[in-house]
Amino acid sequence: MSFLFGGDNMNNCIEIKNVNKFYGKKQALFDIDLTIEQGMFGLLGRNGAGKTTLMKTLAALHQKKSGEITVCGLPIEKAKDIRAITGYLPQEFSMYPNMKTDEALDYLGALSGVPANERKKKVTALLRRVNLIDHRHKKVKELSGGMKRRLGIAQALIHDPKVLIVDEPTAGLDPEERIRFRNLLCEVAEDRIVILSTHIVGDIEATCEQIAIMDEGKVLWRGTVSSLLENARGHIYTANVEKRFLPQIKREFIVTGMIAQSDYTTVRIVSDAEPDLPNVVLTEPDLEGAYMYCLHSSGCDISGGEE
Amino acid sequence: MLFAKECRKISGSLVFWIYCIIIALMFLTQYFSDCTEREYPPSPGRSAGDYDFKPSGDHDTIIEGTVNSLINDYYSNKYICYPLGFYKAVHLKDKDQEKIEAYITEITGLDHDKLAEIKNNCEEYYVSDGVHEYKEYKAEHIDVDTDNISYDRFREIISDIDSILGGGSDYAPESAEYNFSMIPMTYEDALEEYNELFEKDGIAGAYARLFSDYLGIVLGIMPVFVAIAIAAADRRSRMDQLIFSRSISSFRLVFTRYAALITMMFIPVLTEIIASVIQLLVIYNGESVAVEKMLGIPVFWLLPNLMVSAALGMLLTEMFSGGTAIVVQFAVWFMSIMRGGTVLSGNIRKFTLVCRHNTLYNRAQFMLHKNDFIFNRTFYFIASLAAVAVTAFVFEMKRGGRFNGIRLFGKDGILRRKA
Amino acid sequence: MVSGCLAKMVFSDVRHNYVIHYLTAVGILFLTPLLFGISQLDSILSAQPLEIILPLMGTVLMTPVFFPEQNENIRDVVRSKKTSYHLLCFIRIMCSVLMLSLFIGGFVIYMKSAGCNVTAKHFAGSLASALILGSAGFFAAAVSDNVIAGYMTSVIYYMSNFTMKDKLRVLYLFSMSHGRFEEKKYLVIIAAALVAGGFAVRKLMRK
Repeated sequence: MSFLFGGDNMNNCIEIKNVNKFYGKKQALFDIDLTIEQGMFGLLGRNGAGKTTLMKTLAALHQKKSGEITVCGLPIEKAKDIRAITGYLPQEFSMYPNMKTDEALDYLGALSGVPANERKKKVTALLRRVNLIDHRHKKVKELSGGMKRRLGIAQALIHDPKVLIVDEPTAGLDPEERIRFRNLLCEVAEDRIVILSTHIVGDIEATCEQIAIMDEGKVLWRGTVSSLLENARGHIYTANVEKRFLPQIKREFIVTGMIAQSDYTTVRIVSDAEPDLPNVVLTEPDLEGAYMYCLHSSGCDISGGEE
Repeated sequence: MLFAKECRKISGSLVFWIYCIIIALMFLTQYFSDCTEREYPPSPGRSAGDYDFKPSGDHDTIIEGTVNSLINDYYSNKYICYPLGFYKAVHLKDKDQEKIEAYITEITGLDHDKLAEIKNNCEEYYVSDGVHEYKEYKAEHIDVDTDNISYDRFREIISDIDSILGGGSDYAPESAEYNFSMIPMTYEDALEEYNELFEKDGIAGAYARLFSDYLGIVLGIMPVFVAIAIAAADRRSRMDQLIFSRSISSFRLVFTRYAALITMMFIPVLTEIIASVIQLLVIYNGESVAVEKMLGIPVFWLLPNLMVSAALGMLLTEMFSGGTAIVVQFAVWFMSIMRGGTVLSGNIRKFTLVCRHNTLYNRAQFMLHKNDFIFNRTFYFIASLAAVAVTAFVFEMKRGGRFNGIRLFGKDGILRRKA
Repeated sequence: MVSGCLAKMVFSDVRHNYVIHYLTAVGILFLTPLLFGISQLDSILSAQPLEIILPLMGTVLMTPVFFPEQNENIRDVVRSKKTSYHLLCFIRIMCSVLMLSLFIGGFVIYMKSAGCNVTAKHFAGSLASALILGSAGFFAAAVSDNVIAGYMTSVIYYMSNFTMKDKLRVLYLFSMSHGRFEEKKYLVIIAAALVAGGFAVRKLMRK
C-alpha cells in the first residue's frame, strides 16, 4: 500500500475553503472557511448549528456541494486516503452489540488496515489506555455509556491517525468521566490534530486553544480562546437582584449564570450597554458569557436560551 | 387516539405500501382480468369426455379403482406419493409389502398364489429414470366383488396403507374417494352445475370463492412482513425503552396495534371486494346477484389468513427476531400451498391455512368440506387472537425486565432472565 | 490488503454478523431431502428440489448484506475506516455466493450418490436461480435501506413463479423442471446487474 503523503511536503493542517453543503434543498453549511492546525480545535455551537455535518464532511462521510477541503495536503475527494489518516468518533457511538470489546476493536482495526501482528499489541495498549482492559471480554451491549464512549475513542485511535474527529464526546457522561475524557483527548492532541465539537462551553475551556463558533450552518467566529474573551470584554455584567424579579430579568436580558445568595441572586448578564439594574458591575468575561455575547452580537436569537 | 396514531404509523411504512401493491396486482392480474365476461351455459350434444369430470361418490367405483391402482403399484413396488406436495417415489421393504399384499387379499379375495399368477400374466414394461431402468407392471383390470367387504373396513385399510407409505399417497381416504370415483359428466350434469351457479350460489357465491382463493395465497404470507416492519420499527428507532415506560397496559397497546394492523391491511382487500361486486353487477346485469355473499364469504375466508400471519409476525418478532418470523411464516405458508399439490379445488381440510378452490364450479365439492371449512376458519381466528395475547404477555415480561428475548446461542443459554 | 486484515474482517464478520444466515441456509439444505424424495430421480425430477427449495438460500444469504449496519451510528463508524464500506459489503456478498456454490454443489453431489441423474447443468441452473432470488432481495434492501422490504421482494418474486409461471419468461425460476435451460444465463446476467445496481444506488444515495 503506497501512502501518498509523508516525507517533506507534509502539511499538518486542515484547510476548509468556501464549503457549502445541502441536504436536498436545505442548505446545511454556508461558505465555511477554516484552517485547523495541530492541537485541539474546538467547534462550539448550539444543537443543530451544523457541527456534526461539518465533522462528517471532514471524515469523508458526507459529500460537500462546493468548496475545497484538504486534510494534511490531501483533497477530501480521496476518501480512502483521508480515512486512512482520520479517526472518527460519532456523536452516538454504536458497535455490533454482540461483539466482544476487544474483538470489536480488532475488527475495526482490520478495517483500518492495521496489520495483524501490530493490531494485537495495539488493541491491548489502547484498551489499557482507555481503562477498558478489565472489560475486554464483555460484549459491546453490556458496556455502560461511558465505557462505550471510551471504546469509541479507542477505535478512532487504533490506526494512529493524524487527525481525530470527535463529535460531542462528553454529552451524557458523568462529571468524573467527562474530566477523564478531556484529559485523554489532551494527551492525544499532543502530536495530532484533534477536532472536538460540543455545545458545552466547559469542554472547550478546559482543553482547546483554537476555537470556532458555528450557528445555523455558518461560522460566526474563529480564533483563540483569549481573543474570544477579549472580544466580550465590556459586555458582561453582574448584578444582585431580588428573587422575585428574576423571571422579568430573564425575559429582558441574556442571563448566562446565576448564583443564589440568601436574600438576593447574583446574575451574570450579557448586554451591549450597561443594563439598568441595581448594583450592576462590569466584570471580567468568562467563556460562557463570551460565547453568548458572540452569538448575540452576530444577531442570533438567544433570549430565553437559559430557561 | 392511540388506534388512529398506530394506523397513521402503518400508513407511513414502505413495507405496507409494497403489501398494498402486491394485493392489488394479485387481484388485477389473476381475478379481475379473468372475470370480465359472464359464464355461458354448456352447449349440448358433445361426447361425455368433453365436459368436465365429477366425483361420483359411488363406493363400488371407488373400491375397484383403488384396488386396481394398488395392485399395479404393489407389483412394481413403486408408490407415488406427494407427502408435502412434491413427488416422492416410495419403495417398501419386504415386511411392508407383505402387509399390502394381505390387504389386497382381504379386499379382493385373491390369495398369494393367485396374485403371483396375475403378476406373471402382466404386461411388463421398462421405465427409465435416466440412470437405471425399472420394470413396471400393468395388470389386467380386476373386477372386485364389493360384497366381501364393508365400505368402512375399506376406508380403514386404505388409511393404514397411506400411513405405511408415509402419507400423501393416492390411498389416503379423502384422496381415494376423490381420485378413484371420477366419472365423466354428461351434458345434463354440466348444465346442472351451470344452473347451480345461479340457483344455489346466487352467482356471487361462486365468484366470492374464486376471489378468496386468489387473495388467500397472498394473505397467507404478506401480512407477516408488515407486522414485522411495525414491530421492528420501535427497536430500530430505539423507541422501545420509551414505550416501555409509558403507563399504557401491555395488553391494550399490543391489541390496539394488532387491530390497527388488521384494519389497515384489510382496507385494500375490502376495496377489491367492492370492485368485484361492481364488476359482477355489470357483467350479470339483469340477473339477481346475491351481493351479500360477495361481501360475507371473502371476509370470513380471508380475515383469518390475514390475522394469523400478522399475529405470528408480531409474536415471533417479540420473542426472537423478525427473521425468525419470516422463516416460520414462509414455511407454514409453503407447506399449506404445497400440500394441496395439484388439487386446486376443494382443497380444504381442518388445518389448511391457505384454503383453495380455484374454480367457479364444483360447488358440491366445496360444500362437502363445509363443516371442515367453518371449523378451520374459526380455529385460525381464535388461534391468532391467542397468539396476540401471548405477544402481549411477552411484551409485559420484557417491559418488566423479566425477559429479554430468547437467544439460541451463546453461553447465556436459551432463556435469559435478568432480575 | 495488509496482511491478516482480510482474514480478520471475514472471520469476525461471519462469526458475528452472518453466522445465523449461514445456519438458516444449512437448515434449508437439510430440510430438502425431507420434502422431496431424492433417490433415483430422473433429470427432470432432480431439477425440482434444486429449483424450488435450494434457491431460497439465495434469499437468506444475499438479502441481509447491508443489515449489520442498518443502525446509522454503526454505519458511520465502519464507514470512517480506510477499508471502503462497499468493499466490505462486496466481500460479504462474495462469501454468500461462495457458500451458495458450496451448499448447492454439495447437494448435487449428494443427489448423484443417491442415484439421481444430475449433471453440472443442474448445479449451474440451481445456482442461477439462487443468485437471482438473492440479488432481487439484495437490490430491494439496498434501495429501500430496509432489509424487510428486501426479504419481501424476494418472496414476492418467488411467489410469482407459482402464480404467473411461464408468463415470467426469462425470469422464470423453475425452467429446468420443464426441461429447459436457456433462461438460466439471463438469470445470471440480471443477477449480476442487480448486484452492481444495488451498489451503484447505495453510492449515489450517499451524495
